[in-house]
Amino acid sequence: MTQPSEHVSVQVEVNGRRYQRSVMARLTLSDFLRDELGLTGTKVGCEHGVCGACTVLIDNEPARSCLMLTVQANGKQIRTVESLASGREMSPLQACFQKHHALQCGFCTAGFLMSATALLEEGQPTREDIVETLSGHYCRCTGYSPIIDAVEEAAAKESS
Amino acid sequence: MSFPHSQSPSIAARSIGARVPRGDDPRLLTGRGQYLADIVLPGELHACFVRSSAAHARITRVSIDEARALDGVVAVWTGEDAAKFCEGIVGELEVEGCFATTMPLLARDIVRYVGEPVAVVVAESRYVAEDGCDLVDVDYEPLEPVLHPRSALEGGPSANEELPDNVALRGGKVLGDVEGAFNNAARVIEATFHSGRLSAGPMETRGVIASYDWTSRRLRLWTGSQMPHYIKYCLTAYLGFPENECEVLTPDTGGGFGQKAHIFPEEMLLPLLARELDRPVKWVEDRRENLMTATHAHEQFIDIAYAFDSDARATGVRIRATGDGGAYHQPPWSMGVEPWCTAMVTPTGVYDIPAADLIYEAAATNKTPIGAYRGVGYMAGTLVRECLMDDAARAFELSPFDIRRRSVVREFPWTNPQGIVYDEGSWLQTIDELERMVDYTAFRERQAALRAEGRFIGLGLSVFVESSGESTAMGKAHDLGGIYHDTATVKMEPNGSVTVTIGLTTQGQGHRTTMAQVVADSLGVPLEAITVRAAESTTYGWGSGTVGSRGAVIAGGAVLRASNVIRTKLVALAASMLEADPADIDLVDGAAVVLGVPGSSVSIIDLATAVYFDQSAWPADFDPTLEATLAYDPARPIFSNGGHAMIVEVAPDTGFVTVEKVFSVEDCGTVINPDIVEGQIRGGVVQGIGAALLERLVYDDSGQLVTTTLLDYHMPSMDFSPPFEIHHLETPSSHTPGGIKGMGESGLIAAPAAVLNAVNDALSHTGTVLHNIPITPEQVLRALRG
Ligand code: FES
Ligand code: FES
Repeated sequence: MTQPSEHVSVQVEVNGRRYQRSVMARLTLSDFLRDELGLTGTKVGCEHGVCGACTVLIDNEPARSCLMLTVQANGKQIRTVESLASGREMSPLQACFQKHHALQCGFCTAGFLMSATALLEEGQPTREDIVETLSGHYCRCTGYSPIIDAVEEAAAKESS
Repeated sequence: MSFPHSQSPSIAARSIGARVPRGDDPRLLTGRGQYLADIVLPGELHACFVRSSAAHARITRVSIDEARALDGVVAVWTGEDAAKFCEGIVGELEVEGCFATTMPLLARDIVRYVGEPVAVVVAESRYVAEDGCDLVDVDYEPLEPVLHPRSALEGGPSANEELPDNVALRGGKVLGDVEGAFNNAARVIEATFHSGRLSAGPMETRGVIASYDWTSRRLRLWTGSQMPHYIKYCLTAYLGFPENECEVLTPDTGGGFGQKAHIFPEEMLLPLLARELDRPVKWVEDRRENLMTATHAHEQFIDIAYAFDSDARATGVRIRATGDGGAYHQPPWSMGVEPWCTAMVTPTGVYDIPAADLIYEAAATNKTPIGAYRGVGYMAGTLVRECLMDDAARAFELSPFDIRRRSVVREFPWTNPQGIVYDEGSWLQTIDELERMVDYTAFRERQAALRAEGRFIGLGLSVFVESSGESTAMGKAHDLGGIYHDTATVKMEPNGSVTVTIGLTTQGQGHRTTMAQVVADSLGVPLEAITVRAAESTTYGWGSGTVGSRGAVIAGGAVLRASNVIRTKLVALAASMLEADPADIDLVDGAAVVLGVPGSSVSIIDLATAVYFDQSAWPADFDPTLEATLAYDPARPIFSNGGHAMIVEVAPDTGFVTVEKVFSVEDCGTVINPDIVEGQIRGGVVQGIGAALLERLVYDDSGQLVTTTLLDYHMPSMDFSPPFEIHHLETPSSHTPGGIKGMGESGLIAAPAAVLNAVNDALSHTGTVLHNIPITPEQVLRALRG
């Protein structure tokens, strides 16, 4: 059996770039992204899978990177908040977050953005869909309704 | 006494009042924010804490050899090691009847709450540091835990032998003819309340990085603190780091809400470790530690009674507020501020009640120390006052609006029995406005119709007045010690751009945007030309802390005073260049213009350039310094006010409560940026809904904290978030810059009472009235089932 501190080799694609690394078997995916790749946009708020701050997309599905080991992401495609803007322009979803004042401290924001991005890619969510999906994320600052408004407007923009 | 730094110049609101989008957002939205854990120093070590697993015990042995021997572990310290440098942090509240405690940096001999730091392991990586903690073995000999504040105050074992009778705070006052009021009362409405133990729960936990250079004796400490200047002061006073070589840096911070407005042992230990080990040391708190050891908040037992005359006017109040304080005072706010504020400040609220008997007390218990959390003292005080108002409304068969109108203060200035003077307010208008917003008659009809179908909705009301812009004058008015002032620097460069530094840190409140709006209106420059730095380092400015709803008022005042110095110079220069009277010059839309003379203007950019490069344009005696640092501290206490009405539905089968809608009225004087004010309201109200319905830190009978994950400590998620209707009233203060008042705490101050009242209204047919929060489904079901 592999020991937790033994190193294993992983290959992942993160934000369109391929990486081949040797990592500790017990290294969490969130620590890998943040500490090994320097992608600190992904935040860690609880390390036990509840707050949603660490959410990234793995093969287009939202996943909590604090609950995953890096080795579990071997061979997969990962997207983080750093991938959302294109060139020097924020994504429509990011722009709607600013417009609706859907962030204050910004610590929860990457997680919300990633789950909402997956939701928007799936189709045209209703307000209820948005609430159901994003209720798996905590935000302590905004009281949530501006986040719902932001995602709703981004959904409307996408369909128009 | 009046001082120049209490006078703030006037300002014409142009950008002030606009919904300016936050300049910080693109950075934060694209993952470029730099929060504490994102900072990596070359060669940094990682610290991890061994924490007490016992509520109250004697430490008989700490064995650290195995941990020390682990590959990658650099150091292990216990209480003895830390005590060589510092005996502990002394805490108390500067009021009558407070008794100090000393909190060790690492426990020695005795542990006094679960989670108290006992040892620290420093290693090459966080992973190894945690392995090292697992290898530290601590033997405990149990002592009896003290867990109930009111019985603790009656005697028995002590929670902390520094306070043998467990009294950390005890005092009070009788003001006016309380006996008379109660003897002559037509009715006395009274109850005992318990408001649960809370965590402020910022999404970013605490954390510290320390770096020390022995050649210069230079210490740099990163912490997401709301009070970096105070932290720096503690590092110099307790640990002897040289003041001139000690810098506290504040990165982007993921919320604070009062929890990050304390000095913590971890913030004192890391600099010592960095100095002794000669390497930078980093500690990032995990969530379990945050729930267990970052300050707890708000828990109190409160007995309160109001005397009412036959016209349903409140004539007297008696209150005894008891805080469940935890094992130590956590400086600077201590376990005292919560019950002290509840008893001494809040019982009269917006009501003209002439007589008050006020008792405050805090008991030491073997729990995590209580500290500040948004609306400290005010939330519980508003809960009990406003809940009894609704109880009284039912007793007198009046509407919740009418009962409040009977007693509300209508004329200003008004002095309450505690001697606090309120200069202005829209206290009556708030009640009227909320009644209009909820459409009270229609609500009662809908409630009756739904009740007939077996559905239970309720309406709850809660109105408040809040001290804002915490200041020296505010402290004096409340017989509290404390001197406050904050500085700001405004600097204009040759191209007319402006850099502003303020002494207040920001945790998401958007100060960089609101302060830029103030400067834009003062100097007539566009927002894009202004950069605001919010106390990113103690090298700049002085700040008394982002606490007490003071950001907008205090930073606003300091910024306006400093920018007015620049303004005066630009005006003098423009007057000379345009051959006009300075009194006729205004700075607007990027130019200095001569009022009444169309076409006579010079751009701010040209003025700035002339200051730096064209002496021939200067008037006589011109001083070209385009940089000013000034302090501000308002001359008088500032109070904002408002209220919330909430409609809730209780589910008869599950006992769950859903908030259907929130109506909020806020009067924080001149609103700088409505988006930001509304954001503060919504965020605070949802925290209040959490406090009223969901959140509670629970200790078992042995003093173990059983809520140590976010699954057990249940904060509101999006499905708990109600729609809001927000209405602004504007009663400007005549003492603050532009009439601004603070409001950061109001949502949490008043929301729990509105929820509790709404639930009681929904249950009114059952005859049961609930007085404890959080309101659990069990309580609701018990009420419904009789
Ligand atoms: S950090 Fe992963 S869910 Fe909270
Ligand atoms: S914006 Fe602060 S936690 Fe969501």
